[in-house]
Amino acid sequence: MLIDLSSPGGAALALLPEIVLTGWALVVLLVASWRHRTAADSRYVGILSIVGYVLAVMATGWLAWVGARPEGLPLMVALDGFRYASHTLLLWIGGAVAVLSWRWLERQGIIAPEYYVLLMLATVGMMLLAGAADMITMFLGLELMSIAVYVLTGYDRTRRASAEAGLKYFLIGAFASGFLLYGIALLYGATGHFNLVLIGAQLSATEPTLMAKAGLGLLLVGFAFKVAAVPFHAWAPDVYEGAPTPVTAFMAAGVKAAAFFALARILAEAFPGYVELWRPVLAVLAVVTILVGNLVALAQQSMKRMLAYSAIAHAGYLLIALWAHSDRGTAAVLIYLHAYVITTIAAFGILASIERAGARTVLISDLEGLYAARPFAAMGLSVCMLSLLGFPGTFGFIGKWFLVAAPLAEGELLLPIIAMIGSGISIGYYLPVILAMTLKPVRTRSAHQTIRFPVPAKIAVAICVLAILVLGVWPNAVLDFATQEAVQLRRLAMPILTR
Amino acid sequence: MTAFLAAIGYEQWILHVLLGLPLLAIPMILIMPVHRARWIALTVALIELVLGLGLWWAFDPANPAMQFVTDVPWIGAFGVGYRLGIDGLSVMMVLLSVITMPLVVWSSWRSVDTKQRGFYALLLALKTGMLGVFVAMDLFLFYVFWELLLIPMYFLIGSWGSSNRLYAATKFVIYTFVGSLLMLVAIVWMVMEVGRATGTYSFAYEHLLAHAYLLESSGPWLFVAFALAFAVKVPIFPFHTWLPDAHTEAPTAGSVDLAVILLKMGTYGFLRFAVPFFPGFALSESVGLVMAGLAVIGIVYAALVAMVQPDLKRLVAYSSVSHLGFVILGIWGSTVESVQGAIMVMISHGLSTGALFFIIGMLYERRHTRKISDFGGLARVAPLMATAFVITAFSSIGLPGLNGFVGEFLVLIGAFGRYPWLVAGATTVVVFSAAYLLWATQRVFFNRFTNPLNEGIGDLNMREIAVLAPLLLGMVWIGLYPGPILRRTEGAARMYIEMVEPYLSETPTVGGTMFRGGR
Repeated sequence: MLIDLSSPGGAALALLPEIVLTGWALVVLLVASWRHRTAADSRYVGILSIVGYVLAVMATGWLAWVGARPEGLPLMVALDGFRYASHTLLLWIGGAVAVLSWRWLERQGIIAPEYYVLLMLATVGMMLLAGAADMITMFLGLELMSIAVYVLTGYDRTRRASAEAGLKYFLIGAFASGFLLYGIALLYGATGHFNLVLIGAQLSATEPTLMAKAGLGLLLVGFAFKVAAVPFHAWAPDVYEGAPTPVTAFMAAGVKAAAFFALARILAEAFPGYVELWRPVLAVLAVVTILVGNLVALAQQSMKRMLAYSAIAHAGYLLIALWAHSDRGTAAVLIYLHAYVITTIAAFGILASIERAGARTVLISDLEGLYAARPFAAMGLSVCMLSLLGFPGTFGFIGKWFLVAAPLAEGELLLPIIAMIGSGISIGYYLPVILAMTLKPVRTRSAHQTIRFPVPAKIAVAICVLAILVLGVWPNAVLDFATQEAVQLRRLAMPILTR
Repeated sequence: MTAFLAAIGYEQWILHVLLGLPLLAIPMILIMPVHRARWIALTVALIELVLGLGLWWAFDPANPAMQFVTDVPWIGAFGVGYRLGIDGLSVMMVLLSVITMPLVVWSSWRSVDTKQRGFYALLLALKTGMLGVFVAMDLFLFYVFWELLLIPMYFLIGSWGSSNRLYAATKFVIYTFVGSLLMLVAIVWMVMEVGRATGTYSFAYEHLLAHAYLLESSGPWLFVAFALAFAVKVPIFPFHTWLPDAHTEAPTAGSVDLAVILLKMGTYGFLRFAVPFFPGFALSESVGLVMAGLAVIGIVYAALVAMVQPDLKRLVAYSSVSHLGFVILGIWGSTVESVQGAIMVMISHGLSTGALFFIIGMLYERRHTRKISDFGGLARVAPLMATAFVITAFSSIGLPGLNGFVGEFLVLIGAFGRYPWLVAGATTVVVFSAAYLLWATQRVFFNRFTNPLNEGIGDLNMREIAVLAPLLLGMVWIGLYPGPILRRTEGAARMYIEMVEPYLSETPTVGGTMFRGGR
């Protein structure tokens, strides 16, 4: 189906998933403003928000099913498989986080159902960011996402750490947005366009100018902040640790995925002519991020901090896939992000169930003997650790395999070797978690007696863990899908560029 | 027998059944009552043994190519297939695995009394992994099996091992995992390079082997990446430090599986992948000298270290390092004899070291110690055990008439032409190994009976005799009549030599002709 994006009706059709979710979020906000007193109210709103996610997934599915394609240039939003794939993943993250928050918030004494509204609006922001075909839409999405997530981070007002994390994230995030905006302005000055494809055409046709180069540089810095690549990562550990655990999952999975989807699109569509310029930058960022993230993670005692540094390291691996600048590389970004996201959600989901209201953050040593008390939780978390490590038999391994293949196909050897060195270091902090859970004895008799795992959260985590294992052995469907979608991202830009 | 096997379509299903059966039994173990766990494991092991022994007849020694080949697409987007096959090298390893399995289960019959379900489930998972490594003819599949093995072994050591088990388990996993990471890069690089040149992106072993010559320029570092993974597993001299810890802390079943099968995976990797893929670099004069040199250093050094070990298991662990050095020396000796000798050492080391670990495990069950100084004069109270130990020790030393001699003699003779001085150095180990094993035997089973605690040690019971008897029979049989085994491995060895021959700097003749004339 061809959609004319210049007409209001066409634009509305193309934005259907975002519109559905935003509209539903407003309805839920209205409901929440009447019912925000008791734990039951909070649960009720939570269920409503999950309905919203389901509706938005259906809208995305419909767009993909009718095969919506833009008539001429994609204005404002892209209409391609890459967008549908990223939307599905992002909606899935939002829904899963809503499920994980259900009952968890009440247990922590956070009764303010607007939480779910913010979650939905943040998801809308991520979708706009990942699907934007235009710098302005992209910035809009980024800000919508960021502002909602700042609030979510500081949502546990009674805890100092949470408030501190919210403030920190806000300050750094505003800084990063400034970089991005300045970069966008410079690019507009250099090319006269906001549209990614048009910028790409303009930049490929002319000699590189200083203004365009500076714009690219500022864009990369802005995104490096958002994905927490070293040296722009300093905010991540404190913010991840301070935020309510489901929100941490949302940040580690959703924000990172959305930013990578957007970065992949920008680099493929707007800057194919500047490959020689941005490749070395990505390579240096990737190497530093992988090494620093993994080495510092070794020293962590707290689970959330350890996972924060591991998330930094994974951003480094993903940068390598972007570096490849090929269909294989884009496919690797898709696959690796899927693997990483599913694993992260499951890991934080299990972690959230272990946390107690008002208690300090969970240390790795707190997990000792978990297997004896909660064998399934321990096995699930072990599978997550193995998947993050990239162990065969898990989906993480398929991701790692693709990731290594992308730069190797371009004849680059150093980056994959650095990635493997990083992976070798990472066993030093993933294995102790498994060791503590399965092989160490329980410390005190009262340990692990306070674990509360609500049924919906259990189901969400179980689906994730099963997906990790099944896709680790039989990834064909996902791989075929990703390799087809990745080609689309390129094919869309090519005819317009060559014209 | 051969006709019967052909009639039931044996070669079509045997490899899949061997791989799948243990996995299928795991859920059964987990849902059945705890006391059934060992029975299920034993049944599966015996079925595997009966089915697996058919390979001895079904395998055609005259055909040097891969047999029983399966090729089913698995991950099509990436050229990965479920590809299986065996040749003279892997058939021996598969047979060794299926023979060990019931013995291992049987030996754990009484000693494992906690968390039995988990123990036997892990043993079965380990079995699938080990068999998979030897029959995988697809590098992706191989890598998956290779790594997956770590999980059951990690938990076997970490959960059922002795006092320092967590340290040993962690060390084992980290060494092996880190060692094989570069191999992952190397495998993908090979597939990409070969794919770019031929247009076919495939992980199939045969495909990569046929086009490995395209990788001439990147050969050196690719070989290093493979060699590192395999050298850690063998282990070759400077990478061996994980082995004594893992062996010592593991439960008997773990030690035996480690010694009999897992260590052979490293040498198997050299014979199957590392050297045939990159013969130009691997067999060049300098690399050959380094590898053979490290092998001989390992042979002598480990034997010397074994001499001063106060712990029986540690002593045997170091003797493993020493024996595996012969395999490496045989591979780089690069004659049909030395390669056959290497395969022979792999087999006979499995038999004799496996038996030694079994006996030490039996001693440990009775006295809960492995220190040599805690024993003495046991032959008086446990004559059968002493007999078994003495025969095994002789076989491990390499006494003519027992299995250890055949392999090591072939290696020494085959490698002499290429590395006369190194071979001369390696020969000295016969003295050292006699010293550490006989000395240990003397201190444990003979000498004066000083420790009254040893009074209650019973002799071998029927179950223990049943565990040891097949291994002892194997030792004597191979020692007296190695022909049938040599005939089956000869095709693989010849094939291997033909593959690497053009890359050898000079063809050694001294040992080769002498032996060929003698047979």
